[in-house]
Amino acid sequence: MVNLEEIKKEAKKILEEGKVKYIIGYAKSSNALMAAPTFVKKPEDIDKLIWDPTCFQNLVKFLIDEKRKKAREKEPDTRPIGIFVKGCDSRAINVLLQEKFITREDVYIMGLSCEDVGVLDKKKIFKKLKGEKPEKIEFDQRKNIVISTKEKTIKIPLKEILAERCLECTSSFPVISDVFWGDRNNRSPKEPFKCLEQIESLSQEEKWDFWQQQLSKCIRCYACRSVCPMCYCDECVVDSINLAITADTTAEEKAQKIKWIEKSPESSENFGYHLVRAMHLAGRCIDCSECERVCPVDIPIRFLNKKLEKVTKELFDYKAGLDPEQPSLVSSFKDEDPEDFIR
Amino acid sequence: MEKILTKKSFPAWIKKLQSYTVYSPEKQENLWSYEVIQNPDKLNLEHLNTVLAPKKIIYPQREIFLQFNTSKEGKPQIKEVLPEEHPAVIFGVRPCDAKAITLTDKVFGEEPKDPYYWSRRNQTILVGLTCNPPPSPNCFCLSVGGSPHSKEGLDILMTDMGDKYHIDSLTKKGEKLIKAAENLFKPASSKDKKELEKIQRESEKKIKREVKDIKNIPDKLKDMFESPFWDEEAMSCIRCGICTYLCPTCFCFDITDELTSTLPLKGKRVRTWDTCQFPDFTMHSSGHNPRPDKASRLRQRMLHKFQYHVENYQDYLCTGCGRCISLCPMGIDIIEILNKVIDHE
Repeated sequence: MVNLEEIKKEAKKILEEGKVKYIIGYAKSSNALMAAPTFVKKPEDIDKLIWDPTCFQNLVKFLIDEKRKKAREKEPDTRPIGIFVKGCDSRAINVLLQEKFITREDVYIMGLSCEDVGVLDKKKIFKKLKGEKPEKIEFDQRKNIVISTKEKTIKIPLKEILAERCLECTSSFPVISDVFWGDRNNRSPKEPFKCLEQIESLSQEEKWDFWQQQLSKCIRCYACRSVCPMCYCDECVVDSINLAITADTTAEEKAQKIKWIEKSPESSENFGYHLVRAMHLAGRCIDCSECERVCPVDIPIRFLNKKLEKVTKELFDYKAGLDPEQPSLVSSFKDEDPEDFIR
Repeated sequence: MEKILTKKSFPAWIKKLQSYTVYSPEKQENLWSYEVIQNPDKLNLEHLNTVLAPKKIIYPQREIFLQFNTSKEGKPQIKEVLPEEHPAVIFGVRPCDAKAITLTDKVFGEEPKDPYYWSRRNQTILVGLTCNPPPSPNCFCLSVGGSPHSKEGLDILMTDMGDKYHIDSLTKKGEKLIKAAENLFKPASSKDKKELEKIQRESEKKIKREVKDIKNIPDKLKDMFESPFWDEEAMSCIRCGICTYLCPTCFCFDITDELTSTLPLKGKRVRTWDTCQFPDFTMHSSGHNPRPDKASRLRQRMLHKFQYHVENYQDYLCTGCGRCISLCPMGIDIIEILNKVIDHE
């Protein structure tokens, strides 16, 4: 069992020793059902750290900010960043290492096993509560969640309200870490791609209609991109500055930059955006599903990522983020790689 | 004019409004959204906060300004595109969202008046609903000069009284809507009025969140521009557009040309929502960006809402709907930030 007190003890120790610049962890937010990222710099602040199934966020995203910040500083503090990672989050670190975006010395990985749980799915809880607002939540032995609303107190088995990705997770513990808490029991869900069954059974027309309807909801807030630990490009095709501008860039060059995707939330542009986003995650997405969680209009973005994960697995027997030393999917090939899908 | 309408007769009223496009909150899976009513009998005004405010109807995310077309021989052709005017009614408008429209009215009402905004605004009737209970745990309208039964910006305010609605008609537009089905309404009795007052008092008590000492916020912010406070608060921001796109008061936009063909040159000039939270919002063509980091962008959002707008229009650019709090992926909470601003030394 992961013991929060032990985590705090370690956090205190590494901060006191000055081993890390700061620690990215979780603290309570004003929303009882969601933790918030916290950045602990002083040993006396460790008591705000928490660890429970409301710790949704993939904190690896913040390593990207840290790298950018460091690049701007004249004399940067080069100590590593302490960071809380779950199983899925640790795979994101591996991809960043594999792509040489960060180095191993940049991070002090505080690995937390989800054990037999995971994180909550806010939509599932919303359904259970039938619109009532949670005032207080408690976890009972990591088996049940006890939610108190103004009207009543209800106890729900965690299994019923866990995020889909956690139910389909095959490695619920960090695969890379400097310190580690919890067990390393592999899970073997019978159907790791079960979520795709229904959508794969649809005809091409039905699929088209489904995505037309879903993607027409997109308001292009880019939260799915902004939250993704794999999205770290300096210039993104959806931004109006998708051209690195320097003092030498001519007006002509600026005027002639290609606009791949327009700002309008029109169907064609939304398709363009979401397909570009998904394709850039082929062999990279580690299924933390943050993109889907943060979507304010509930687009089932995970389907796209999961489909790519499945194809990647079936065609190339490749799974992202398991090993920082493995060659990346899109920049390597094997003689036995299939070619018959190339048309 | 205060009237009473039984809930049973509510669909009959809507059916009388055939000359209008009628919008109302509709539950789509887990989310509420303002949509055109297809079946008045299924209408339900028990909605939680909609993801997008009714702002999206009056000031849509995309608006075509003009179309252009060139051909080798002829002159370039430019055709202005104005919205097709059609009268609309929006039911179930929350008082905070209605107040937000009065704020965008002021901005788009400055000379030159925005013809796109006003062609819709003038044709839209806002029928509000008293929030009892509040539609979100993060409602804080009382802190920013609103209330769950505020009439500001509304043409009619409806209040749920069990099996009937109290209908308070506030403008000529509102009167017109009631006249469309006059026989369905009964005058409100003094007993009804007493009950209404009770409901209104109760509705205020149900708002749980508040910003302390908000009157001092604008002054306090003036001295905080350079404070490292913003770096701290913005640490967990991921630079998405949720807080601003879902905000009922945010009005910033971008204008771009969307080409459908380059030879011959053809396309549209469109306006789309934009947000101060995106890095390219303030990007200069030189490559310099005066708001280079997320701290300066969070500061901009706060200062615009609680300092600059107060200086320019004597009102906060926030109506306390709580959307930015409820949907921030990282739990950034505007109330907590404001309360820290007050405590800031």
